[in-house]
Amino acid sequence: MTSLAPQSVGWRRPLGYLGLAVVLLGGLAWLLPEGIGAFPQEWDVGLGPAVNEIQQWWISNRRDLGVYLYFFDPLSGSIDWLLRALENLLMAIPWYVHVVGVGMVFGRWLGRAGGLAAGAGMVYFVALGLWEQSVQTFALMTVGVALAVAIGVPVGILAARSDRVHRGLRPVLDSMQTLPAFVYLIPVLLFFGVARVPSLIATVIYALPPVIRLTNLGIRQVPTESLEAGLMFGSTSGQLLRKVQLPQAVPSILAGVNQTIMMALSIVVIAAMIGAGGLGQEVLLALRHQEVGRAVEAGMAIVLMAVMLDRFSHSLVGQGRMGGGHHGEGLPYRNWWIAGGVLAAVAIAGWTLGWTDYPTALQFSYAAPIDGAVDWARDNLYQLGNLPVGTGPFSDFLTTYGTRPMRLYLSEEAWPVVVLFFGFVAWWASGKKLVLGSVVGTVVIGLLGMWTLTMDTLSQTVVAVLMAIVIGLPLGVAASRRDWLERGMRPVLDTLQTIPSFCFLVPVVILFNVGRIPGIIASVLYAIPPVIRLTNLGIRSVDKEIVEASESFGVTRRQKLWKIQLPLAMPTVLAGINQTVMLVLAMVVIAGLVGGAGLGLEAVKGLARSDTGLGFEAGASIVILAMILDRITQGWAARFQPPSSEGD
Amino acid sequence: MIDSERRSEISSKAPISAAGVWKVFGKRVADAMEMARDNVDQASILAGSGCVVAVQDASFEVNRGEIFVVMGLSGSGKSTLIRCLSRLIDATAGTVLIDGRNLGEMSDVELREIRRHTISMVFQNYGLFPHRRVIDNVAFGLEVRGAEKEDRYQTAMQMIELVGLDGWADKYPEQLSGGMKQRVGLARALAVDPEILLFDEPFSALDPLIRRDMQDELLSLQERLHCTMVFITHDFSEALKLGDRIAIMRSGAIVQVGTPEEIVAHPADDYVRDFTLDVPRHKVLSAGTVMAQASSDVVLEGEPVVVSARLETILPRLLTEGRPIPVVDADGVRCGVLEPALVSQYLWPR
Repeated sequence: MTSLAPQSVGWRRPLGYLGLAVVLLGGLAWLLPEGIGAFPQEWDVGLGPAVNEIQQWWISNRRDLGVYLYFFDPLSGSIDWLLRALENLLMAIPWYVHVVGVGMVFGRWLGRAGGLAAGAGMVYFVALGLWEQSVQTFALMTVGVALAVAIGVPVGILAARSDRVHRGLRPVLDSMQTLPAFVYLIPVLLFFGVARVPSLIATVIYALPPVIRLTNLGIRQVPTESLEAGLMFGSTSGQLLRKVQLPQAVPSILAGVNQTIMMALSIVVIAAMIGAGGLGQEVLLALRHQEVGRAVEAGMAIVLMAVMLDRFSHSLVGQGRMGGGHHGEGLPYRNWWIAGGVLAAVAIAGWTLGWTDYPTALQFSYAAPIDGAVDWARDNLYQLGNLPVGTGPFSDFLTTYGTRPMRLYLSEEAWPVVVLFFGFVAWWASGKKLVLGSVVGTVVIGLLGMWTLTMDTLSQTVVAVLMAIVIGLPLGVAASRRDWLERGMRPVLDTLQTIPSFCFLVPVVILFNVGRIPGIIASVLYAIPPVIRLTNLGIRSVDKEIVEASESFGVTRRQKLWKIQLPLAMPTVLAGINQTVMLVLAMVVIAGLVGGAGLGLEAVKGLARSDTGLGFEAGASIVILAMILDRITQGWAARFQPPSSEGD
Repeated sequence: MIDSERRSEISSKAPISAAGVWKVFGKRVADAMEMARDNVDQASILAGSGCVVAVQDASFEVNRGEIFVVMGLSGSGKSTLIRCLSRLIDATAGTVLIDGRNLGEMSDVELREIRRHTISMVFQNYGLFPHRRVIDNVAFGLEVRGAEKEDRYQTAMQMIELVGLDGWADKYPEQLSGGMKQRVGLARALAVDPEILLFDEPFSALDPLIRRDMQDELLSLQERLHCTMVFITHDFSEALKLGDRIAIMRSGAIVQVGTPEEIVAHPADDYVRDFTLDVPRHKVLSAGTVMAQASSDVVLEGEPVVVSARLETILPRLLTEGRPIPVVDADGVRCGVLEPALVSQYLWPR
């Protein structure tokens, strides 16, 4: 029994310590002389202006630089050419050919219903007058994904073949995946300015890690015996790669491509802020002009595109798993050639005859009713009668008892106390190793002149994370007990995880107007799936025999949950919380767009006013904050990991 | 690493000969080898040097056309040893000769050639390629050495028929049962027409009944093919059934090499004797092994038996007649006598 009990797993600091620390540090702050408040502004090292100078120098001198003339310029030129070519091609093909073609391809892979739905989705893009924007977004994303795959697969192969490359790459990929998409835009902006090519470069960099990771993983997961069999028949290393390793890695690589597509789409939308255009820009402009209806229309288009791409690339993963040359039911090959030929002929005919426009009579828009609904919601849902119920009182409550006190504590309390507090939390959650990093990190944020803004962002993050846990954890536990609930929640969670972060802002603005609260609500929605998922998974994957053993001692359901299931599920649950924290941070930053204030707003300002230095300072602070939060939650999760047996 | 005296013992005729082969995993190899030579046990070597001595000074020869079984419990180093014979693992010290050529000194190209044409291997968990159909698995060896599609499919089909999998050529490994998978593994190894076949516990993942079928099938295949086989197993009865000769391994070292009968009749130490205790001895031992020297002047009555006759065929007579039976060699010349008392000592030792 004792060997199974989690109590034997290392020593963990009680939650009470944290409360004690708050009290003690509060007392310490009181003892300190008056006037020590937020981190002193005079200590700002002035990185921002320096970055701006570098940028100025770069802009005025780049024409004379070899790197620019022979690397950046041709690179950006050819990428731009590729983008334009793809866009022009897609635009030249009449919309009805797109609708039928996409419908057929989806029908082939996802069945009749899938085909019809995909065709209807294509009609949506055209009918709402979002065709050009959709094509732009799609082209940008396609080229981005193609480049990411073209770079990522070879790098992944390299990492799989050399342990040194693998070891060197892993921390880089790890940190790349913890950073909010947003911060990728800033350095790219520095070198390339505002345009589509820089947004594409940011896309490629942001979307690269999953392909590399899963190519590497897929190759490394090929069973040793399979490799030995390949070697024993005298394969050269090239033959081994082509005939044994890569084919068996295909499902994993395709899963990586699926993730890359979803990441690329999410950042392509955000990249509208640095001139990516397309659907993202449509949402951005609509939000800026408070045209919620328009924002919903464009946002839905993004969601639609995300769901379609996700379903499609998912079905490819499934096909890849079924062994190389498998072809499911559906039309035989010859008929595909014929169908393709007919569509091409129709496309060319339509293009030469100029029958490309969508009939205006068939266009529709539901922006007006949405706008009406928004007005209605504002008037009626804000407060129900004189009752303290409604979005208004809810926002007020959250502000008064959540974000505001925490923000004030963190940003106006004596800064050394806050730094100490950070160090203490790092120690409490994961031990000595992180204390120094956390303390230095927080001080650097102060030196960047971002103290108050960071504390604002942090307080929003903490509130959103707590809400996500308070809601998500019980849902996860409930789902682990009821199969029907798990089944019912799965598509909802899938959809939440497919939607690019940007789109969450639209509906919350309808209900909560602008400000910090809508950002927090959007963050909770965006970040809650991992907690629910992994709580459910963690509890469900507790060894059946252990559960039965506890039942044989006559535990109640509550005892079983608290004494057996939750402790054993803890590592998984905490992994979920770690993901949730990172997602919340990413969203809180983006919520700067709808009045979330904090670092996000500052970064947006930097992007919008071409004050790259400001954006850079905010971005760097976001990176530091993300790193600290990630390490702390991961270290915390690691504490719950049962000790591995000595044999391994 | 190998002394000259031992090198001279190696005959270049044997398809496989191993001399003083060591495999040490870890960094302080020399220390570990030194300790192993001083008969320090594995646990202390690991504690003292951080190394695992997987194979310790293994020397043996495999004769052409014989099934040479390496038998040992898990962790005794037998899988490592067989990988040293194909250089899937590089030996730390010692020499492995394949047809008289030093495996360790071969270039990558030479090694590839010898694997493409001379040595084949069958794996414990089949080692099949899940993304290839049965026929493409079987044809793999031919494919990598550059055979035309038609030729390799033709050969592969023959092999598939040989192992009794007609009609399964277009299936994927996942659609096959364990026994069938190992038939594919066998067919794949045979397709390249190898001189030497290495088997790494090929039947240990199979159900007992299927295992017996596969053993019988391997024996009947060997009657036709006359390959040189090295067969790894942890099952002593499997070793007795298949092996022309058996090498018994214990924590990396070969304790005894001999025919099944030699091992059962004269186990080298208590470790080997333990394995032989449950063996149905009357099926293994022959008259020649258990007979007593008989002076030629003693007159014996009764029909003589030949030296190679198994005890199970003689035992009923010995028990009913209750008197010594003369033993003659292949030419009919008397060479010994079966004494009931001596025979019973062999059958029920201790």
